[in-house]
Amino acid sequence: MAVNEQNIAVAASVVGKAPGPKPMAVIDVGTTAVRMDIAEISATGDIRRLESLQRAVNLGRDTFSGGRIRQATVEECVGILQAYRRVMEEYGISSDDQVRAVATSSIMEADNGDAFLDRIYITTRINVVPIEESEVNRLTYVALYRLLEKEVFLKEGNALIIEVGGGSTKLLLIQDGAVTRSSVFRLGALRMRETMEKHRTPADRIRAVVEEHIERTVEEMQHGIPVETVQNVIAVAGDMRLTMSKLVPDWKEGETAKLVSGAFAAVEKIAVAPADELVRKHHIPYHEVETAGPALLVYTRVARAFKAKQIVVSTLSLREGLLVDEAGGGLWTESFTNQILNSARSLGEKYDYDRLHAANVMELSLTLFRALQQEHHMDVRLGVLLKVAATLHEIGLFVSNRSHHKHSMYLIQNSDVFGLSHEDMLIAALVARYHRRSQPKPTHEGFVMLDREGRIAVSKLAALLRVADALDRRHTQRIHDILLSRDERRLVITAPDVEDVTLERLAMEGKAGMFEDVYGLKVILRTGVTPGEDS
Amino acid sequence: MPTNTPHFINRELSWLEFNRRVLEEARDTEVPILERLKFLAITGSNLDEFFMVRVGGLWQLRRAGKNRRDDSGLSVGDQIAEIAGRTHAFVSEQYDCLAKDILEPLAAEGVRILAIGQLSAEQQRHIARVFDQEIYPVVTPMAIREPVNFPLLPGFGVNLCVRLAPPDNAPAEQLFAIIALPRASSRFIGLPAVEGLQYILLEEVVRGFVERFFPGNTVAECSTFRITRNADLSVSEDLAGDLLEQMREVLEERKESDCVRIEVSQGASKAMMAFFTAALGLDECMVYEATGPVGLAAFAKLVAMPGHDNLRWEPRAPQVGTELRSESIFDVLSRKDLLLFHPYDSFDPVLRLVEQAADDPDVLAVKQILYRTSDNSPVVAALARAAAHGKHVTVVVELKARFDEARNIQRALALERSGVHVIYGIKGLKTHAKVCLVVRREASGIRRYVHFGTGNYNEVTARLYSDVSYMTSREDYASDASVFFNTITGYSAPVNYKKLDAAPLTLRTRLLELIESETQRAQQGQKGRIMAKFNSLTDSALIEALYAASQAGVEIRLNVRGICCLRPGVPGLSENIAVVSIVDRFLEHSRIFCFHRGGDPQVFISSADWMPRNLDRRIELLVAVEDAGCRERLIRILDTCMQDNVKGRKLMPDGSYECMKPKSRKDKVRSQQVFYRAARDSADQDEHVLQKVFDPVLPAASAK
Repeated sequence: MAVNEQNIAVAASVVGKAPGPKPMAVIDVGTTAVRMDIAEISATGDIRRLESLQRAVNLGRDTFSGGRIRQATVEECVGILQAYRRVMEEYGISSDDQVRAVATSSIMEADNGDAFLDRIYITTRINVVPIEESEVNRLTYVALYRLLEKEVFLKEGNALIIEVGGGSTKLLLIQDGAVTRSSVFRLGALRMRETMEKHRTPADRIRAVVEEHIERTVEEMQHGIPVETVQNVIAVAGDMRLTMSKLVPDWKEGETAKLVSGAFAAVEKIAVAPADELVRKHHIPYHEVETAGPALLVYTRVARAFKAKQIVVSTLSLREGLLVDEAGGGLWTESFTNQILNSARSLGEKYDYDRLHAANVMELSLTLFRALQQEHHMDVRLGVLLKVAATLHEIGLFVSNRSHHKHSMYLIQNSDVFGLSHEDMLIAALVARYHRRSQPKPTHEGFVMLDREGRIAVSKLAALLRVADALDRRHTQRIHDILLSRDERRLVITAPDVEDVTLERLAMEGKAGMFEDVYGLKVILRTGVTPGEDS
Repeated sequence: MPTNTPHFINRELSWLEFNRRVLEEARDTEVPILERLKFLAITGSNLDEFFMVRVGGLWQLRRAGKNRRDDSGLSVGDQIAEIAGRTHAFVSEQYDCLAKDILEPLAAEGVRILAIGQLSAEQQRHIARVFDQEIYPVVTPMAIREPVNFPLLPGFGVNLCVRLAPPDNAPAEQLFAIIALPRASSRFIGLPAVEGLQYILLEEVVRGFVERFFPGNTVAECSTFRITRNADLSVSEDLAGDLLEQMREVLEERKESDCVRIEVSQGASKAMMAFFTAALGLDECMVYEATGPVGLAAFAKLVAMPGHDNLRWEPRAPQVGTELRSESIFDVLSRKDLLLFHPYDSFDPVLRLVEQAADDPDVLAVKQILYRTSDNSPVVAALARAAAHGKHVTVVVELKARFDEARNIQRALALERSGVHVIYGIKGLKTHAKVCLVVRREASGIRRYVHFGTGNYNEVTARLYSDVSYMTSREDYASDASVFFNTITGYSAPVNYKKLDAAPLTLRTRLLELIESETQRAQQGQKGRIMAKFNSLTDSALIEALYAASQAGVEIRLNVRGICCLRPGVPGLSENIAVVSIVDRFLEHSRIFCFHRGGDPQVFISSADWMPRNLDRRIELLVAVEDAGCRERLIRILDTCMQDNVKGRKLMPDGSYECMKPKSRKDKVRSQQVFYRAARDSADQDEHVLQKVFDPVLPAASAK
């Protein structure tokens, strides 16, 4: 078994690399603005930003107030993206693999969100893909990874990464360098304002209502994170650079700025200043002011709530994450996978899981996953989902012994694990659900929501998880190192250091049926002797 | 100077002082005669524009009943009266200069302008032919019985007004006729001459044959006149509709604006003067009697006559460094930044940037702003060629460049036809910044080359105006240039610049901050110093900031070619400020600013003068020049300009200018001469180095 985790990550990151710098365009269709960065990615993954463009739009306003993107806004976005297409061409960016365009999920709340993206594609040939908040969180982490690695003070101790967008606020808790929490709150700078306008909140009450709303959300954020354990609040402020440059005049592009607690009051003063004043006095565009005001308030309130000493303001943005992703530094790399697992373990802790059992089952599942690569042809992502499912397969015990697999499914499906999308979470939840008892049926809740590929993946992964779980039937981790061999009809698992595997065989009889159904191989569990035909 | 004297010098009077300095050049016997004539013609065309725009604006205000006092304490009425008083004196000095300082010595050199009575028989036959064949067929007199029937004459045309004597038995009714001279005809008609060059003025010819237009009538008198119309028509760009169309309308409208000045040749009768004032609704002060030909600007054509090079400046060829001659501009700029000081340094490298971009297969895109270019501009041709070669070419054509609108519209349409993406300026703002960006794909990735200038992309004026070009491929400048173009083309909202500041958003604030920080340094006991060179200083906020700096002890040296509303050398207000204006062979046009910053000077070049229109109503750029070599050179340029005591005149607290008096001949500093010599020496040195590089003849085998 020569395959290890690192190999998987490396194999994934080298895909699609071309020699020489590759010009790329990354586009973020957001609630208040459409933004594009043009950059070059070198063969070694270095990113050199060439241009940044942004134009204000009313996507969020339309969506949050009327539930629909107005035709005029659609056409405005089309115009902007046509102009962006022209700028791309000026850098020789012409093929689809040089363009990555995303739309934040808030926009997809609009009834005509899909039609809007289709219209953009038809007129500009730019394929804007909607992304979930969890993906935004992942990309934020990807963007910040280098910063977190570089800054010693961020590596040690706990840090909260916060990004306040037009529609939602994303939060990541980093504990000693590990992502242990990833949450999304429906606290959006623009959403708040539009909601208030919709409900005709009197002007003199708006500020109080906003502050109240922020306070409530901050309280929610505090749940499960002890006060005074957070040393730094990291504000992702790439899209409010102008505002930040007024607060920190010496701030240089690409560097972080520190706002110490003594400066919070000054920040809050700017945060609550009338938009017109900021525009007039500081030449900050309206679309930035609209988000920046509430965002600044969130940052200081969070910092105050957690008694953080400082706010570290970073100029990074979602687009930086997209670029790092494209440079091979993002998706499913070793570090990223580790953070997903950190986050999953943190969820397990929350539900008082059997940490050692979970870890052993995960390792055993992974061994099976790698060994059977030729049979299942599943990619790295599904391997990671298997690890998450294995880590969390028994958290349902927190609710009840009875049908705990169903509780596990429910809990996973309704939690946030850093870096995983809703669909990822559903697959992991279903894999956990099928670690015992019934095999998947088309009538099962959740399973029915998946497409054919998803369903097959669930079956393949659950079959592996069942075998791995059977191997640690005793929850003692006495079988932790296995050797695998196979012939046409059998998968032989040998536990070299274990003499008696009776209980595990018994368990295997109840659980390996699904494996046999899916892989067409009978599972044989042996003990002691080293088999001669290792695979 | 009394303490209650206003802090500001009136802008219009300051401008008149500037024109006076130009006239002084026309009277300077050290200046070759034809160059003097050119200076005189410039004073004429300057005055034309001044009346059309500034005086026109004042009359508009007066007619609208607005008579507010400006920062200098003068009301609109005061300004009109003061301008008229000074201009009347100025005009008589202009004609005195023409007669005594120019035409007389010119005649001694064999160049004469003859009156009809001075013509030889052959010359008379010649002009008779010219009149019959070229003038008579295209000229139609317009008879006018009542002043209200006065025809709508375009501004700046030369006309004759003829008063006809009433027929013997008719009542003593005044009958006038107007003859508008054809604009297409040359004002100076060459005469056959045995030696030298001899000319007769067009109006003189028509006067000579004027009776031919009125058979049966007696011409009682005939005077030449020229009117100036108000051009200060503010185009409201917020109005819906096509901007291009709107500009065309402005051109039409300009022909119909109010008359603000009339120049009448000397000797017109009271009756004729009364006719003019009644017909054109003129105030008495608007009538200027010319003791020579009206419209002195026309003498620029005579300056361009062939030959007589001994009567002109000795030629000064702009210099080009060796590497710029032998290497691609991209190679040079990849290696280092370039600072060119035109016209001492050639404008060719700038042209070559655009031309090589057009033909280089690796160039992907070119972006440029065009404000005023020459006819048949090589820049425009290169941009069209680049588009034809499939490159992405974006050009911002400023349609609102005053009096160049017609040419700009033509140019824009032609560029569009060749596939260039043309942007017709920005609504409500004139795009005055000078920047060109070339995007090139190279082995190491995308590389961008930028040119920032203080002057226009006009290779003709680049030989006549002193301007600075800064060319670089540094990433920060390139990305700023990209941001700038994205902003003005409307592709992106403004974002922060790294090395630039742009009007109307941050340029003014930045300048104020820079002045303020020198003030603070001085207040804290550090040395504070500001050196700045620009064309005009009228912005009251900046002037107040400079006063405050002066009071804090900041040493301020300004080189202001034209208008300066700052009053220097006033105790308690501006005793640390000195202002010098240079008027010499080349038009001083560069904008360079240097702030001492405690010994680590910050140096900038800019397209903007320190005027509200530049800072608030135009797209302008302030470019920080950080390359050590370029920065040092800019500081040297400023230093030299401040020391000019030959062509530099010092602004006095009362708004007048005084010549500087170098102690001895060897103390004389004439900045333009210093710059020319420095550029020539540098080119010579290059040549010398080049000659030292030996080219060995290698054996055939190793040469392969």
